Amino acid sequence: MSSTNQNIKQVSQPDHILSYFKMERWSLTLVTISGILYNVGMIAGPYFEGRLAQCLFDIMGGRESFSAMLSLAVVYLIVILAVQVMRCVKRFYVRRFANNTSRNMRHMLYNSLVNMSRDELERESIGTVMTKAVSDVDACAEGMRKFTTEVFDTGVVLIAYLAMLFYYDWRLTLISCAFTPVAYFIAGRLKHRVTQYNGTYKKSAERLNGATMDRVSNAVTYRIYSCDKNRDLAYEGYLRDYEKCAVAANFWENTMQPLYHIISMCGVIFVLYLGGKNVTGTGWSNWNIAAFTTFLSCFAKMALKSSKTAKLFNSVQKAQVSWARIKPLMKEYVEQSTLSDMDFSAGASIKVRDLSLRWENGQQVLHGISFSAQPGQIIGVTGAVASGKSMLGKALLGELPYEGSIEVDERELRTLSLYERSRLLSYLGHEPELMTESIEENIRLGEKGEIARCLKTVCLADEICKMPQGAATSVGSGGIRLSGGQQARLALARTCYHARQILILDDPFSAVDQKTEREIFANLRLLAADRIVILISHRLQLFPQLDHVLFLEHGTSVLSTHSALMRGNSTYETLYQAQAMGGAGHEE
Amino acid sequence: MKNKNGLGVVFRKTVRQNSGMTLLTGILIAACVAAALFPPLVLEQMVNRLTGRQAVSLVLPLGYFGLLALSDLLESGQSVMITVFGQKMAHSLRSELCAKLKRLPAAYFTQHAPAKITSRFVNDVDVVDSLFTNGIIGMVADAFKVLSILMVIFYKSTGLGILMLLVTPALFAMTRLFQKRMLKAQLANRVAVSKVNNHVPETIHNIRTIHTLFRQKYMEEKYDSYIEESYRALDKSNLYDSIYSPIVIFVSSCVIAVMMVFAALGGGMQQFFGITVGTAVAIIAYVGKVFEPLESIGMEIQNIQSAVAGVKRINEFLSERERTVPEGTSNRAFSDANGESAISFDNVEFGYDDKTVVLQDMSFSVQQGEAVTFIGRTGAGKSTLFKLILGLYAPQKGQVLINGIDAAQISDKQKRKLFGYVEQTFHSVAGTVAEQISLFDDSIGQKQIEEAAKLVGLHENIMELDQRYNTPVEKLTFSQGQFQLLSIARAVASQPKILLLDEITANLDSETELRVLQGLERACKGRTVLSISHRLNESTHSSRLIQIGE
Repeated sequence: MSSTNQNIKQVSQPDHILSYFKMERWSLTLVTISGILYNVGMIAGPYFEGRLAQCLFDIMGGRESFSAMLSLAVVYLIVILAVQVMRCVKRFYVRRFANNTSRNMRHMLYNSLVNMSRDELERESIGTVMTKAVSDVDACAEGMRKFTTEVFDTGVVLIAYLAMLFYYDWRLTLISCAFTPVAYFIAGRLKHRVTQYNGTYKKSAERLNGATMDRVSNAVTYRIYSCDKNRDLAYEGYLRDYEKCAVAANFWENTMQPLYHIISMCGVIFVLYLGGKNVTGTGWSNWNIAAFTTFLSCFAKMALKSSKTAKLFNSVQKAQVSWARIKPLMKEYVEQSTLSDMDFSAGASIKVRDLSLRWENGQQVLHGISFSAQPGQIIGVTGAVASGKSMLGKALLGELPYEGSIEVDERELRTLSLYERSRLLSYLGHEPELMTESIEENIRLGEKGEIARCLKTVCLADEICKMPQGAATSVGSGGIRLSGGQQARLALARTCYHARQILILDDPFSAVDQKTEREIFANLRLLAADRIVILISHRLQLFPQLDHVLFLEHGTSVLSTHSALMRGNSTYETLYQAQAMGGAGHEE
Repeated sequence: MKNKNGLGVVFRKTVRQNSGMTLLTGILIAACVAAALFPPLVLEQMVNRLTGRQAVSLVLPLGYFGLLALSDLLESGQSVMITVFGQKMAHSLRSELCAKLKRLPAAYFTQHAPAKITSRFVNDVDVVDSLFTNGIIGMVADAFKVLSILMVIFYKSTGLGILMLLVTPALFAMTRLFQKRMLKAQLANRVAVSKVNNHVPETIHNIRTIHTLFRQKYMEEKYDSYIEESYRALDKSNLYDSIYSPIVIFVSSCVIAVMMVFAALGGGMQQFFGITVGTAVAIIAYVGKVFEPLESIGMEIQNIQSAVAGVKRINEFLSERERTVPEGTSNRAFSDANGESAISFDNVEFGYDDKTVVLQDMSFSVQQGEAVTFIGRTGAGKSTLFKLILGLYAPQKGQVLINGIDAAQISDKQKRKLFGYVEQTFHSVAGTVAEQISLFDDSIGQKQIEEAAKLVGLHENIMELDQRYNTPVEKLTFSQGQFQLLSIARAVASQPKILLLDEITANLDSETELRVLQGLERACKGRTVLSISHRLNESTHSSRLIQIGE
């Protein structure tokens, strides 16, 4: 679309989590360097603070001069500044890494989504799975970020602290750190309980969201049927359940950390007591005040860090769960081929011979369908409900498997690529399928050109002129700001704008009145002078004007004309008469 | 109608209803603040003893640990209470939002997409919850921590206290600056994320159009531009986020350095800073502790910022103009023998906004038990007519009377007995097939449900389903026509006196239409029936026609 998107990259092997780490080499290298420097530098704080206290002690005892303190303070500030700059770099780049990863994952997911067939999306409600997966991406990238951060902030820093502690007094270190593994052990034992409560909480949230969506989207229906009170009570039940689950999940996730801290901090008793002995010269090592305070604050920081590692386990586990859900959906990037040896500029014919269609369960719906059409012809398709009208339309579009033959421009439909089909066939179904865009954008969909003619064709131009923003008016989500008739006509306008050689229109006039229907049809006739129109409808008022009528009955078809059918087919005649009688009265 | 139920009101109500819990939360926070003050004081004692070359007994280390443990336990308790409080708040807020639904005018639901309204309930309330748990309450506790530590510092060292008084406001000013920048970036991100989130279900819904028009690339580019928008906003916010906390830590180091240098000057300065070595060690611990809550205040501010937008939207929703909920009227409306017309329009003028008039000077009346069909072009206002009858909208001029009573005065409950309304399309609700018909109304039993289904000729189809009437609606494989029959069953289940049929056969072929109409004929006996059609067929023969528009 624009140059801003150059940074979004295609991921090869998108179903391997390592691919995403590999793609962010540059960010991760920076994170590694700054992360190690920062975390090693973390011990500088306690070290220098100890030295400062010692220096003050020495000055008061007359053993050091003021300038020693001054230079020590300056060195202290420089070191801290450097360490914090490293921290800055690490923090930023680890976040950028997550941001990039989330962007790339979304990009890949969307690509596989947009290239899935409707059939795939409908089967096993992949659609909802996909919608959820997109939100899983965030959890996953967040987990990857936390993992990367903690490798340094917990892993490296713990090693640095431990090394420092061992240097000062290894026996004291062993004793005082003996409690930390206990905290780890308990955290490990409680882990599955945390996940379990979290799972219950998630499920309750899902139920609540479903109930909310239902309560809101059916608000008017419930009001008309006076069910508000009833539904509010049911909703209150969902709310209570959610509150309970949320508190429980939160309790297990957050209150444990201070407890782990207490356990880890048990060692502080030994640090203070035995460390004090070290200073007074009766312990294992010989310490000054600097050593004492440095050891103490190192130990305290380490205990705090290790109490937080349980949180790290949780977030990594959450990310794993999210990733497990996304992984199967991550496919190699698909680029639809636009290669073709066909000529799309000239008019194309369609020839259907002995076509059979079945439901997915193998039950036959239609058989022995044969007809053909040349550019300039309009063919009507009709029949009773569930006679397979819409199914035939979808088959002609190439969406369904079929037996027999459908030849478009002298090529078998099933051998054509998605691209070739899109260049030969246009389709309009029951659903208007509008985007959350302006009226104009809904018609053009990124193509350039005038839309005025198409609006006129579908008798929408005047109504749009009256709107304050004209064709730039946003139609809202799914076209909600337009009336049903406007939505249908806008969808028809879009089909006309992108019209190919063969137009398959499934009931395009069901939401417009008869007069408008006739006007639109007359316009359509002009537009499709050198094209084929296959008009699927259960409204028969236009059928006298059509070149041929394909009447579906008893699982097969009769190809004829309106007048012949009126004479020879009593079912068709009854249908037409029933509608025509009403229609006559309507024109007065 | 003025807003009388903003977030503030809900908050006060929650506090009042849970006063014991609120008190306990307060006490825990106060205890938590106090407990955090003591450990450094014990440390000071120890270091002073050590510098005096005195041995340290086991009492001080044990006391130090005990105080630490106590402060941790209190913190645990505090976090539990805050969560409980936050969830109570979220609960009340959602109840309040739900109650608001009843009071909103019908027009609101046509102007706002359900997904957007749902996101008020789900996302924005979650944000408000975190506003309390990780925002305001945490911030109050942290602010107290800062204040109490500042007081201890003042007590221990006047000089350092003054130094801290100078630094703290400067840090706050910086925090404010970051706050504003980040809010902007986060709002931008939120807008982009909502576009991203809307794009996926829209793609799934529109996949056929996308494929037949070969618009995959176009859709992808659109999606990429949305994620790019979100990426940029987030990147900016991340930048501020990464800089903030390192600056705070560096400043705290500066304070320590300055304090030590002044203390080392000796003489009057040392007096002013009042420092012994023990005090120095304790104060270093305190300085770290002042900036710790300051740092979390920074984080909390970030939470509060992202919540501001959510709070605004919730308040907006809660202060939406409300409809006048009809209080109901005497049961006169239900006796069709009161001699009044079932429905009468008296010089009615109506438009959805001030600019366009949909109905002008509309007058007609429908007798008890009469069948009337409204005809007219698309957009002539036929469906509007029904909405006026149902009292969903009120006319600007003139009167709409039901059994001689103003439509606006009839309560929702009374309407249930009065009207059965069948819309152009079926709106499924979350539940079983039986619940599609009963709409969770306890007064409609299984027998009535089945009768309604039999009436429209769906009973056999439903009995063929695996779980019959208990089949969940998601698993229902009905055709469009069958769904429409279900919709009619729903309308007749409560035995209403008046049936409103809005283009119920628009999506049906003539044969199914016939089936539906035969079912309806049985249902319509003794009822007043109003139907809308822009196509006429035999069903309308027996009824009177009223033309809407020219």
